[in-house]
Amino acid sequence: MPGKKYIMGLFKEEDQVVSTLTALKESAYQFQRVHSPIPSHKIMAALDLKKSRVGWFTLAGGILGLISGFALAVYCSIEWRLIVSGKPIISLIPFFIVGFEFTILFAVFGNIIGLLTQTRLPSSKTMAHYDPRCSGEHFGVLATCEPMQQDGLKDFFQQNGGEVKVFD
Amino acid sequence: MVKKERIDMPQLTYASIDQTVLNTLSAPKRYYWAIVAVLFLGVLVGAACWTYQIFVGIGVGGQNNPVAWGTYLINFVFWVGIAHSGTLISAILHLFRAGWRNPIARAAETMTVFAVCIAGLFPFIHLGRVWQVYYMIPYPNQRLLWPNFLSPLMFDVIAISTYLTVSSLFWYTGLLPDLAAIRDRSEGTRKKIFTFLSMGWTGAHEQWRHYTRGYLFFAALATPLVISVHSVVSWDFALGIVPGWHTTIFAPYFVAGAIHSGLAMVLTLMIPLRKIFKYENIITRDVLENVAKTIVFTGLIVGFAYATEFFIAWYSHNAVEIEQFRWRASGDYRWGFYFMVVCNTLIPLLFLFKKIRTTIATLFIISLIVNFGMWWERFVIIVGGVARGFAPYAWGLYAPTIIEYGIMLGSFCLFFFFFVLFAKHLPSVSMTEMKETLEHGGSHAG
Repeated sequence: MPGKKYIMGLFKEEDQVVSTLTALKESAYQFQRVHSPIPSHKIMAALDLKKSRVGWFTLAGGILGLISGFALAVYCSIEWRLIVSGKPIISLIPFFIVGFEFTILFAVFGNIIGLLTQTRLPSSKTMAHYDPRCSGEHFGVLATCEPMQQDGLKDFFQQNGGEVKVFD
Repeated sequence: MVKKERIDMPQLTYASIDQTVLNTLSAPKRYYWAIVAVLFLGVLVGAACWTYQIFVGIGVGGQNNPVAWGTYLINFVFWVGIAHSGTLISAILHLFRAGWRNPIARAAETMTVFAVCIAGLFPFIHLGRVWQVYYMIPYPNQRLLWPNFLSPLMFDVIAISTYLTVSSLFWYTGLLPDLAAIRDRSEGTRKKIFTFLSMGWTGAHEQWRHYTRGYLFFAALATPLVISVHSVVSWDFALGIVPGWHTTIFAPYFVAGAIHSGLAMVLTLMIPLRKIFKYENIITRDVLENVAKTIVFTGLIVGFAYATEFFIAWYSHNAVEIEQFRWRASGDYRWGFYFMVVCNTLIPLLFLFKKIRTTIATLFIISLIVNFGMWWERFVIIVGGVARGFAPYAWGLYAPTIIEYGIMLGSFCLFFFFFVLFAKHLPSVSMTEMKETLEHGGSHAG
């Protein structure tokens, strides 16, 4: 966003962030993101965020795992047949255990893939316009504005009780 | 500073939590390295004993016919059991929104990862010819052999490797925001290391949106997994027809016992950690008291299982089962049986007294006693079953050899070696979850 100024308001209280976000929506400034040391329901509600899609990756992994676990056990039993009396070669009850474990394992792999793809991690680009205090005791609200609006945005954050950090 | 007062942690702030945890990561003093060196020496003793066994043969252990399963399998079950409370605390109590688990969750999860690693070593040690371990891997080999997935031992391979993978990933995911917090307060090489480890985490709202959801799914998946893993371990025994093993109560009995021993190990580790790292304001007496209360509960389940086994043996009118349990209480290993009943069921009942469960010294001593008792429980079950089988002419006894004691010493030293290294190099209390406790009383709410 060339020409835009990145300014962060740093707050110590979750409630200050919520009221700032509400006011920011009605201002001329563009909201970018909130950095916080903890996940906050109040902030997520104020931002009206949709539910994450990570669960679909988890579900897909789980289904793939169930099929893979059963398939592996069935394939091994067919390839190396251990014939004991009239007992079935493909024995579903014990193979369920393999299927169950693979369901969990692959669901977790799916979960990890979902997390990495949705959060776009690992990445070094996320560190741009970030203040290290946001992993400690501050909540950082990042907004952008035209250069001529810079003072207005700084005043806006200060009026809402925040410290101001201007990024070059 | 953010001041969020709670009744049980009134003096904590975000800054004080960060400071307390970051202080634990300061440059270690000389005595720390002395402890590390002593533990490493113990690891070397274990490694030397295992090396000797590999060169000479599995006969250097005390296993015999009929007692083919000795301390290697006892320690395997013991360490898998220890691993279970980490997941109980991090996953199950997370789903129940039990805020008191937050101060101890990180250390318990770490304990889980290390304990599973050590448990996983024992089947390799027990195998004797460890270089043939690849027989258990399903791949198209030149002999056209494939693993038999009807065998509970193959269930074990799948379950334990899944548990190790899942608990390691769960642990690292929980660690991510704290790694970023350390990165932001470090300089030089440490900053570079933690920048790499934190993968660009900044706590942006989009990251938290997905993270909280993913963490919730992790907990939801780890919960049935932890129950399945020790059930599968119990089927290593219960699916055999050996008297004393062939019983349907083994799965819940083993799961309860695993959580029982794991919680005791949590106390054993947390109490010195709390003292050394000055975590008194974070790992409060209330937290330890809640662990003690849970130990009473799991101890009662375990005691009920002990009694049920005797009742079923009597009720079955099966002469072999009756003899097995008569011998368990009055035979050669009766001391092991008394240890397990007294240490696992009766002594934990002392925690019913508030004075005892809120006194640090008694909490620590009883946690050691439960650890001792749970080791003996596995001895009584594993050795007792095969030592007194169906045919009286095939009865036999077993005693561990010096090599087995050496390997056991090595395993305990390896566990504490890993834990001591972890405690000084990574945050042993989750800063993020502690801040959440102050703010919401819960953890990574998804």
